[in-house]
Amino acid sequence: MGTVRPLLWKCWRLLVFTLVSMLPLLAACAPTSGTPLLASPGPEANDQPSQTSDRLVYGLTLSPSGIDPHINASAELGIPLTGVYDTLVYRTLDPQKGTGEQFVPGLAESWELSDDGLTYTFRLRRDVSFHDGTPFNAQAVRANIERIADPDTQSQKAIFLLGPFESVEVIDQYTVAIHLSAPYAPLLDGLAQVYLGMASPAALAEWGPDYQFHQVGTGPFKFVEYVLNDHLTLVRNDDYNWGPAIYDHSGPAYLAEIEFRFFTDPASRALALEAGDADVMGELPPLDAARLRQDSRFAILPIAIPGEPLGIMLNTKQPPLDDVRVRQALLFATDRNAIVQTVFSDESPPATGPLTEVTLGYDPTLAERYPYNPDEAMALLDESGWADSDGDGVREQDGQPLVLDAVLMTWGSVPEVAQLVQSQWAEVGIALRTETLTYPAALEAVRQGDYHIVPQSFSGSDPDLLRTYYHSGEPFNWSKISDAPLDNLLDEARSISDPARRIELYNQAQQRIMELALLVPLRDPVNLNAASARVKGLRFDAHGWFPLLHDVYLEE
Amino acid sequence: MLVYVIRRMLIALVVLWGVATIVFLLLQVIPGDPAETMLAGSGASEARIAQTRQDLGLDDPLLVQYGRYLLNALRGDLGRSLYSNRPVILTISEQLPATLQLAAAALLVAVILGLSLGILAAIRAGTWIDQTVMGVAVLGVSVPVFWSGLLLIWIFSVSLNWLPATGADGWQHLVMPAAVLGLVGAGPIARLVRASLLNALRADYIAMAQAKGLPGRAVVGRHALRNAIIPVIALIGLQAGFLLGGTVVTEAVFARPGLGRLVVDAILSKDLPMVQGVVLLIAAMYVVVNLLVDVATLALDPRLRQ
Repeated sequence: MGTVRPLLWKCWRLLVFTLVSMLPLLAACAPTSGTPLLASPGPEANDQPSQTSDRLVYGLTLSPSGIDPHINASAELGIPLTGVYDTLVYRTLDPQKGTGEQFVPGLAESWELSDDGLTYTFRLRRDVSFHDGTPFNAQAVRANIERIADPDTQSQKAIFLLGPFESVEVIDQYTVAIHLSAPYAPLLDGLAQVYLGMASPAALAEWGPDYQFHQVGTGPFKFVEYVLNDHLTLVRNDDYNWGPAIYDHSGPAYLAEIEFRFFTDPASRALALEAGDADVMGELPPLDAARLRQDSRFAILPIAIPGEPLGIMLNTKQPPLDDVRVRQALLFATDRNAIVQTVFSDESPPATGPLTEVTLGYDPTLAERYPYNPDEAMALLDESGWADSDGDGVREQDGQPLVLDAVLMTWGSVPEVAQLVQSQWAEVGIALRTETLTYPAALEAVRQGDYHIVPQSFSGSDPDLLRTYYHSGEPFNWSKISDAPLDNLLDEARSISDPARRIELYNQAQQRIMELALLVPLRDPVNLNAASARVKGLRFDAHGWFPLLHDVYLEE
Repeated sequence: MLVYVIRRMLIALVVLWGVATIVFLLLQVIPGDPAETMLAGSGASEARIAQTRQDLGLDDPLLVQYGRYLLNALRGDLGRSLYSNRPVILTISEQLPATLQLAAAALLVAVILGLSLGILAAIRAGTWIDQTVMGVAVLGVSVPVFWSGLLLIWIFSVSLNWLPATGADGWQHLVMPAAVLGLVGAGPIARLVRASLLNALRADYIAMAQAKGLPGRAVVGRHALRNAIIPVIALIGLQAGFLLGGTVVTEAVFARPGLGRLVVDAILSKDLPMVQGVVLLIAAMYVVVNLLVDVATLALDPRLRQ
């Protein structure tokens, strides 16, 4: 053994070398300046808010992988971008109440529908310019609509909001017409959504596929930057003076800057709020919301979401669910109050039909249709020939046990809900076999059709969304229903423009859906937002998901 | 040594090709159709979904898709995300620094904690100190990050207000994530250091060293530890790989950007190019770390150099 340096020393050196080589990485994340997470309060704290230098941190639940509103489909992208874009029209804030005016002017001052229902003509505001200085006019509207309709854009949502779109025509500098190939009542609803927000044609041309990182609208806030999984920043548009009537004040927004951050772990959302890392947080778990309710430093803002409730779709092509009595038995056997109480801490109303209570055209008469009644369920099962002859607790017919297969997904507390449903159905002699899959895998399983029940929930502000899940010609018709009266109701309701008549038809469609027992409705989704008590003026638009950031200010 | 490194790098290329192929095949086997996932619930017709599938090249024969993927990957083109239509390589390079910072800081915690606790337990073997240290090690491995992370946030951010709870803006944001992740890594290192050191301490040359009258510190440091450290280096290499790929829960709890969240989101939405890109990159880093471990072992163990 020669006189080697102690091996330990060598080992230590290697360790130090390895760690030192990592130091630049560590150094890179050192703060460049001591920017505090929350900016200092605004210069003046009067009763009347005004333009302040305040900065708001808004917590979202996920970081959308694509955020071009014309292309991508997630609801999360709309939360920040509703502040960046204006739309031609806006939905009034409580459209489900009555059949009065549904829409108010936005970038369009007025509009009219041709007698044949095929052409909408919009007269545009003349005082609007995009954040990059490009003037807003009819050419800009055409450039936007044509971009969305271009197959190369690969739009995943906006194009479907345009319905049977045919062409867009510039009539003069401030008049534009949208031509349809068939009457389509939900068009204004689509035009009121951020997915059809008006983007600067100059910016669209300049950035091409990278436009999503350089978005330019006409809204109260300008897009600054988006770093996936980290932050999305907006700053105030000081020139903004064309806000719609649904905003509480005119002129520029109060807040100087809004930073959106992404909190994918539901358990850490409330803690981030309490630690002061965020001023507003969406989708709190119900138990955390209940806890923060007791804390005067925070306010809970529960927002009911219009659209289809969380429910279980029943595959009418898969025996024994081809028998309407068995499907109705499932409805009577389900105690949705118990589910809402246990899983959602009573923070959301039990659902009663295929539309949530806050959706335009919701039919309140359905509430009494299928009360929880296990006796009725058992009577229906007896009647359809399912009886528990061997006394094992599960009914059978011709030696076949009454076992249903469920395709489950992990969103929306579906696995927890399914456990309760399983035990409730077991009480009337139905066994439920569950398989929990990722979303893409569940879609594939459903397409193959080898299932009895599958969960569903979908947000949207126009009842035409019933079509997606209940019309025989639609690929996501998961109950596999093919019912001519229902198809006719849905077809007619989308093609007429009289709101009162539409609501009448949608009432009938909802009744038909429940008569056929295509769905076990469970829970009306409610977004449990929480905010620091300093945050004032926070309201949400008619779609429920999207905050009206223009009116928000911080109180000091 | 140089020849050895070059040979190992050639092997690494083969490994990467294998990983690329396996990832490609796995993604074919996992059920789910990207076009359908993208358009579900939007009102798209069957024909429109079929069109999207064709536009994405998902209708091409498997071999054609595989060939295209390999050729592009060789040219350094990992494709574009199906959802953001942004080059995968750009998104990865944006998310990588946060992951490397977290993995490096957590490794630092794991190595310092693991080595010191392991040595302490070995030289005090059988005492209450040994038992306490080993108990902590087991606890470190078994307490899930999503729980320990929330606990730390509650103590240090909500109650004491010492550290920011979430985000990735500065070193303060790194303290708690590195601590919880490092604690998980420290457990196995401490156990291995203890076992390996105890083994070495039983060897004849230790008895010899003690008989010569060497002080205890020299016996442990100069004679026992240098023999005990070889397997530990290999374990640290494995831990480094684990930390690179295993940061997903930590990233979610502390709302940090990073590769873990990126790849999980991509898998859940069937963003094939993104999954392939991230997995390939993590595999490449694994290979590099392994190479470093082998070179380090070679440098530390004279027997291997002969």
